[in-house]
This record gives sequence, structure tokens and C-alpha cells, in this order.
Amino acid sequence: MEQVIANGLYLGTQYALIALGLTLIFGLMNVLNFAHGQMYVLGGFVTYTIYGQLGLPFPVAVLASGITLAVIGGLMERYLFRTVIRRSHREESTMLLAAATAFFFDAVILLIFGEKQRGVPKIVKGVFNHFGVILPYDRIVVAVIAGLMILAFILFMKYTRTGRAMRALAQDRVAAQLMGIKVDRYTMIGFALGAMLAGVVGGLLVSITGVNSGIGGPISVKAFLMIMIGGAGVAGGAIAGGFILGMMESVGLTVLREYGDVTYLVIFGALMVFLAIRPNGLMGKPWG
Amino acid sequence: MINRRFALKSAMLGTISAMALVMGSSFSAYAANDKLKIGFVGVTSGPAAAWGTSNVRSMQTLAAWWNEKGGVKIGDKTYDIEIVTFDDQKDPKRAVEGMEKMAQEGIHYVVGPNVDDGAAAVRPVAEKNNIIYFPYAFPKELYTAPASNAVLGMIANYQSGPAIYKYLMENKGVKKVAFLAANESDPLSQRDGGVAAAKALGLEVVAQNDTYQNDTRDFTPVLTPIVALSPDLLVLSGVAPANAPLIIRAARELGYEGLISTETAQDAKVLEEGAGELANGFISVGGASTPEIASDTMKEFVDRYTKMFGEYNDESNTKVYALQYIIDTLKANPAAIESVDEYKKTMDSFSAANPYLKGDAKLSYVGTTSFGQKRQLAVPMVVNEYKDGAFQTLFVGTVD
Amino acid sequence: MTDNRKLIGLAVFLLAVFVVVPWLIAVTGRKDFYYTLTSVALLSIASAGVWMTFYIGRINMGQGAFALMGAYVAAILITQYGVSFWWTIPLSGLFCVLASLVIGLPILRLRGVYFAMVSLVLTEVTRLLSLALPITGGAKGITNIPLPGAISLFGITLVPDFATLENPRIAFYYVAVTLMVLAFAAMYRLVNSRIGHICMSLQQNEELASSIGVNIVHLRLIAFGISSFLGGVSGSVFAVVTQSVYPSSFTVTDSVNFMLNCFLGGLAYVFGPMLGTLTLYFGWNLLFETGEFQLLIYSTAMIVLMLILPNGLLSLGENRRKG
Repeated sequence: MEQVIANGLYLGTQYALIALGLTLIFGLMNVLNFAHGQMYVLGGFVTYTIYGQLGLPFPVAVLASGITLAVIGGLMERYLFRTVIRRSHREESTMLLAAATAFFFDAVILLIFGEKQRGVPKIVKGVFNHFGVILPYDRIVVAVIAGLMILAFILFMKYTRTGRAMRALAQDRVAAQLMGIKVDRYTMIGFALGAMLAGVVGGLLVSITGVNSGIGGPISVKAFLMIMIGGAGVAGGAIAGGFILGMMESVGLTVLREYGDVTYLVIFGALMVFLAIRPNGLMGKPWG
Repeated sequence: MINRRFALKSAMLGTISAMALVMGSSFSAYAANDKLKIGFVGVTSGPAAAWGTSNVRSMQTLAAWWNEKGGVKIGDKTYDIEIVTFDDQKDPKRAVEGMEKMAQEGIHYVVGPNVDDGAAAVRPVAEKNNIIYFPYAFPKELYTAPASNAVLGMIANYQSGPAIYKYLMENKGVKKVAFLAANESDPLSQRDGGVAAAKALGLEVVAQNDTYQNDTRDFTPVLTPIVALSPDLLVLSGVAPANAPLIIRAARELGYEGLISTETAQDAKVLEEGAGELANGFISVGGASTPEIASDTMKEFVDRYTKMFGEYNDESNTKVYALQYIIDTLKANPAAIESVDEYKKTMDSFSAANPYLKGDAKLSYVGTTSFGQKRQLAVPMVVNEYKDGAFQTLFVGTVD
Repeated sequence: MTDNRKLIGLAVFLLAVFVVVPWLIAVTGRKDFYYTLTSVALLSIASAGVWMTFYIGRINMGQGAFALMGAYVAAILITQYGVSFWWTIPLSGLFCVLASLVIGLPILRLRGVYFAMVSLVLTEVTRLLSLALPITGGAKGITNIPLPGAISLFGITLVPDFATLENPRIAFYYVAVTLMVLAFAAMYRLVNSRIGHICMSLQQNEELASSIGVNIVHLRLIAFGISSFLGGVSGSVFAVVTQSVYPSSFTVTDSVNFMLNCFLGGLAYVFGPMLGTLTLYFGWNLLFETGEFQLLIYSTAMIVLMLILPNGLLSLGENRRKG
């Protein structure tokens, strides 16, 4: 059982970090970013190239993933989403744009990096095996970094000028604008930050689960699940959602394994019942 | 605003016409010989892209090679081979669409689809339009009468599975087996076949219901309960090449010490990058490029493939065969170019040298035992063991 | 638009799909387009359902679930109970309506992305159910579904047995297109009726609508029921056209595509889903010649379209009229 809980916690930190970037973009612009998973994959491939192929240090590679994606995210906001949001009657229209960019990234990644699953050398060797818990050291390292990043993100949002401006924007766009916040600028920073988070997680996790060009879509869907459990648009919700999903998978797969194919049926069924009872997730904005 | 919209519109028009030009010019290529079109319908994008891509690239490599040497002589005519590909995105509806396209192009020989549902879905179209197709899918109904247009392109899991389990029972003392499969059609069917085969051999099956979502990235939670059962052999039924290294790594890191095997083809490079030395001892079924048995032709094929696409994929060891069979069968009976009935007649007696294996191995159609008719390519059943970045031959079996 | 112009438009459209398209196919010899256009017609029926839920302000990513249900209901009725294909079309639709009432009652309370996500999960749940339930044939699906039989009335054969036709694809094209015309005619009628106007008010403000005495719970269920009916019909015909159904016949990808079709055509236009489906599905097919660059060109075109016409293809006419 200790192992099951450790698995859940470890999965949870990964998931939470994936969900954070998505929820940030959603909170700021009401855009459900279908390309989030593809950004994660792109980040993974940047790290793969720099650390796995060129042999530069791992932190450099992860940093490069973050920067690349931040730039891409910023450009996407400035030249794609801003235009479409301004000119469309219903804000849901951005979903088509998001999906189109997701396809675009899929195509580019497949053309450049090929169809194979990729992996990099382990960053730390060895396995932790005490108290009935088995965890490889590299997983612990990644989980700790992920945890620190989540913490840093929360502090950033709480105490810096940029963070406060973005929170104000997420709460009430019009009011924030009236208070003199440069809406365009902070939306762009927010989108870049969200994309950067996706890139960094992709980079970090390539050391454990590798990366391949086709997983972007499924990752996006999983991230949607997390922010839905926790409540969309709220950082705390994304973190909670990540941990809950991680725990559910870990416990569910152990407890329900006898019933075979229905494991995920039960997990998804429970999700639907939960949302029927709490229509805004754990702590989401009521307007969703 | 009007100006801007006008500019955007003309930009769009410009792009479209440029595209049209590019597309047009790619068709008006040189044409010395007649063209013989061979089709491919399968998955070349998305999470399972590796399956179809290794197919397409094997075909394109072979075609380019033959065309470079002046074409293929069938009967008294020489043809250039042209590969027409269709990406079905692993969706059976699109696979049907792809087969309709092949019929429209007048193609009679199609490689693919790569998965069970796609292969079964295209059957009515193929039969109606006189297309013989070579799926990499295992449902027996596709190959047993009254079906007669599908030819299995590889070794089925119900053929290789029992052979592997038997070998491991006798040589490695395996007694307890656990099965793990993704919750999708192909892996689940393969698992059911595997469980039945293992039970028939008298093995104890300790886990047969464990499944995972195909998008799982971290398999530790999936494997924790299985590893606790400490089986001697963990069978990864129908595992996608992308998932295999992740599962192996998670299992080994959890302290699993038994054997791991699968009945599908894998890629050594993927295993090396994804699991490193933890993948040592992993057993899979491949084609014919282990150094012990690969011929010079096979080596040249790998070279050409690598030159053309940057990197070889070991799955192509199996997938190189389909096009070779098609062309060699057509050579044996040139009338089959226009008539699949002639092709079917030829299949019963066809035999040619296998260029990819050392020694005097033969190409022929098999499957009588499994399907009651010859609807399978005789691909050598090479059971491999992964060791430090390459596959080593464990044993070579045959199917009849 | 005057009534006369509408009638002319309708006549031109009917002429196009029933006469001009088959004639063009006959002239060009592109027989593969029959299946393509049949798919477009069927998928656009399902997309019309999604559009209906957009109309009450819900982003529906669960249509794949109902299409899959419809496909299985039709397949099971035909292969196991010997029901005629023609009866299974409405029966599958009705089954989906029942299912949608049970599912819709709790989940229609959700809004925005929450509804979108729950409906997306619904698609996956349906896929897993079809793998697990004994009646669906599990992983192997249901294959060898027979072609539709004849319809005769008072001894006169109205529709011949499809198995006797030289090319059943043509017959399926007419069936699919007829269903599509019926579906969109019904949608058009509905949207321009009193109920349609009330639905429109739901889309803008549910609280306000409720405060002036609209029973929003009923209305939402009705809209979702119609949506699911169309999904089920589309799925059932698809099962028979391809003569098979599998858990993978309609997946999350399809659910997302149905929604994208609506966006591309334009959410404000009843015929948006039809044009959207035609563009996305047919566009993908035409690009098949470009091989490995297919997805790249396709997605780039989508992005460009979105930048130029963010309110959908049909907003093109509107812009011109304004400017």
C-alpha cells in the first residue's frame, strides 16, 4: 500500500505541473488550449536534442525547452489568438484555432523528429528501496524539481507585480483594464508562461518516460481532466486535480485490477458523478 | 479594413495556387517505363505512427532501389514501381475511405491496414473491387474461407506465442505467466489468444485482466500489483513500440526479475534509448536482420533505408517482405497484374528465393494450419532477445 | 431573404446533391467520391446535433458516444434480431434519446468547459463499455453486417435490395443525402420556431430565461435529446455502410471533429455544420496526394481560415453584405 501511495504522489506532482500551464492560459483568456500536449511534446524533443543528442547538461536542456516554448507561446498569443478573439463573436471559436495549432504542431513534430519513441540517458542512476517503497532516484529528483516549480509558480503569482496583474486579469478582465493594467501585455506574458510550463514538464519527463510525436493529444485530454476535477482557471484547482487524478489512477489500478478492462471505466464514471455533484470542480470559477 | 481583407484573401489564393502548382509538378515526373502502382493504407500519424511508417518506408525504399536499377521486369514489360499511400489515422472509417481511393486508382495490391478493426472494415471494399490486401492484423476470419482477399503479412501472435512460451518453459524454467495489455481491440484480442495458449501448455496464468490506457506514460502504478505477484514471465500483448521501453523500465525499477516478452516486432534503438540496459533479455519477434541470418541484400536494404530516411526501424525487418512477395508473385504470373484471380491461383504453388536471408530460404505462401488456405506470407519467425542495443537470435521457427 | 429566394436556394441545393453531384461523378469517373460524400453527409448529421447543443450554449464533445451507441444498436438489432435496416435508423436514434435523457439530466447542469470535458469523458466511457459489455462482441466488434433489404409498399418495390445492386455505394449516397436533407430541414424549422427563439435566449443568459418562466431543464433536455438522436442516426447508417462496427469506430477524435465542423462552418448558421464537415473531411481527403505533408498543409489551411473568418465559413457572405 505504501508503494501505491508513493506512486500516486509521484504521478500527482507530474500531473499538477502539466495542468498548471493549461489552467493559467484558460484562466487568463478563456482559451481551452488543445495544443498544450503538443507543447509538452515539443519541450520533450528540445530536451531530447540538447541533452540526449548534443550531450549538454540536463538543466541547460530543460531551460532551453522552457525558453523555446515561452517564445512560441508568446508568438501564438500575439499573432493567432489575439486576432481571433478580437474578431470572433463567440469566444469558444478559439477552440478551433487551438485544435488547428495542435494539428500543426503534430505535423511539424512528426516531420522533424520522426515517428519513433525517444528517450535519453538516465539523469541519476539507482533506486530508493526502503520502508516498503521502491522509487528510482531519477523519479524522486524529477518529483522534487516539479514540486519546487509548483511552489515557485504560486509564489510568483502571489508576490510579484506580474503575477498580481495576471491574477487580476483572470478575476475580472474589464475591471483590471480600468485599473490601468496593460491587458494585452499581461495576456501575452501569461500565455508564454503557460506554454513555458508545458515545455519544462515535457523536458523534465523526457528523462523518465521519454517522448514521442503522437502523444500530444492524449496528454492534452488528460490535462483537461485534471483541471476539470480541481476547477478550471484556478492554480490551486490544477494542483489538486493533478494529485487527485494521480492518486485515483494509482489506487484504482491496484484495487480494481481483478476486474480488468473496467478499471478506467470506474475512474471515468466516478469523474462524471463527481462533476454532476460539483459542477465547477473543487474550486473552479462558477462561470467555467 | 477592406485593403487588409483583400490582402489576406489574395494571400490565401496565392498559397492555394502555389500548392496546386507544387502538387501538379510532382505528378508530371519522368516516365520511361510503365508505372505499376502498389497501395498502402495504414497509420502514419498519431501515437501508432511507427507501425505504418515502417511499412511505407520499407516500400518506398524498395521501390526506389528497383526503379534506380531500371525498373522491375514482369513478363515482357518493365515497370517502375509507384507507392500510393493513404494515412487512415487508425480509424476504420478512414481505412475504408483509403481502400476506396486505391480502387479508384486502379490498384489491385495494397499493403495494410495495421490494426484489426481497420483490416476487418476494408474487407467488403477489397472484395468488391478485386483488391488483395496484406494486413498486419490477426483476426482469423480475415484469412479463412469465405474470405479470400486478405493475406497476413507477418507471424500471428497465436502462432509465435505458443512457440515462445514453449521455448521459455523448456529452456528457462518458466512456470507462472502474467499478461498485460492496452485496453484496445488488438492488444486485448492478442492477450486472449496468449492466455489460451499459455493455459494449453500447462502454464499457470497469474494475471490476465490487467490493462492500461494506451496514453499511459508512467507504468509504475500499472505494474506495481503485477510485480507483487512475481511471475516468471510477463507477456506484453500487442504492445506498441512506444510503450514497450516504458513498461520494461518501470517493471525492472520496481524490482521485477523475471522474463519479459511480446509477440510483436520492436525496434532496438527505441528500446536502447527508452530503457537502456534494463531492456536486456527482452524477447520479441522480428524479421531477418540479426547479423547471424541477414543476407547482403538485407544489409543493403538497411543501408538504403537509412540513407533515404535518416534512421532505420527494425520493424521493417518484417515489413520489407510484403512488397517483395507482391512483385515476385507477379513475376511468376504476369497475368496477375490485371487479375487477382490469377494471383490467388499462383499463391498455392508460388515459390521463390528469399533474398533477405542467408542460405537457400524460400518465399512461399503458408497458413494452411491456421486458416485452412494459403493466406499468409512465410516470413521467418525469428525470436529475438534484446542485448545492449541490438537483437540476438534466440531461435528461428516456421509457420505452415 | 424573401420566401421566394429561399425556395430557389432549396431547389438549387436539392438539384445539386441529387442530380449534379452524381452526374459529375459519372462524368469524371471518381466513384470513390460516393463513399467520401456519404461519409460527409452522415458526419454532418452528427455535427448538426452538436450544433444544436451549441445553440443552447453547451460545448458538446460527446457526440462520438452517441454515434457509437447508434452504430452498436443498429448492428445488434440487424445481426442478432434480424430487424430491417430501415427500422434500425429511428430505433437507434430513439435509443440514444433515452440514453441522453438519463445522462443529460445530471450533466446538463454543467456549463462551459466542464460540460465539454464531461462529454469528452462520456465518449471514452462509451468506448470502454463497448469493449467490456458481452453483447457488443468486445474487442472484435461486429462484422459482416448485411446490406439493407428492399422496401416495398403494396407489392411495389420502392427501394431495391442493396445486395442486388451493382454499386450499393450509390444507393447509400442517396440514403445518406436524403437523411441529411431531412435532418437539416428539421433543424431549420426548429431554429426558426418559438422553441428555437427560446433556445437562443438560453444561449445568452440562462438565469434571465428562467426568470421569465422558461423551463430551462426541459428545454436543455429536448435540445440534448435531438442532438443525440442525430448522433445515433448517423452512427447507425455508418455501421451499415461499412458493414462493421468496433469500439474504435467513433472515438474522442471523432467527438472533437464534430465540434470543429460546427466551428468551421459557423456557430451562428444552421447550415454551418454541413459546410464545415464538407470542408474538413473532404479537404483532408483531397490532400491525400500530398503524402507526408498532408497534416501540415491541412492544419496550416485551418489556421489561415480561422484568422480570416473567425466566425466560420458562412460569415463570409455576411461580411460582404455589411461592408
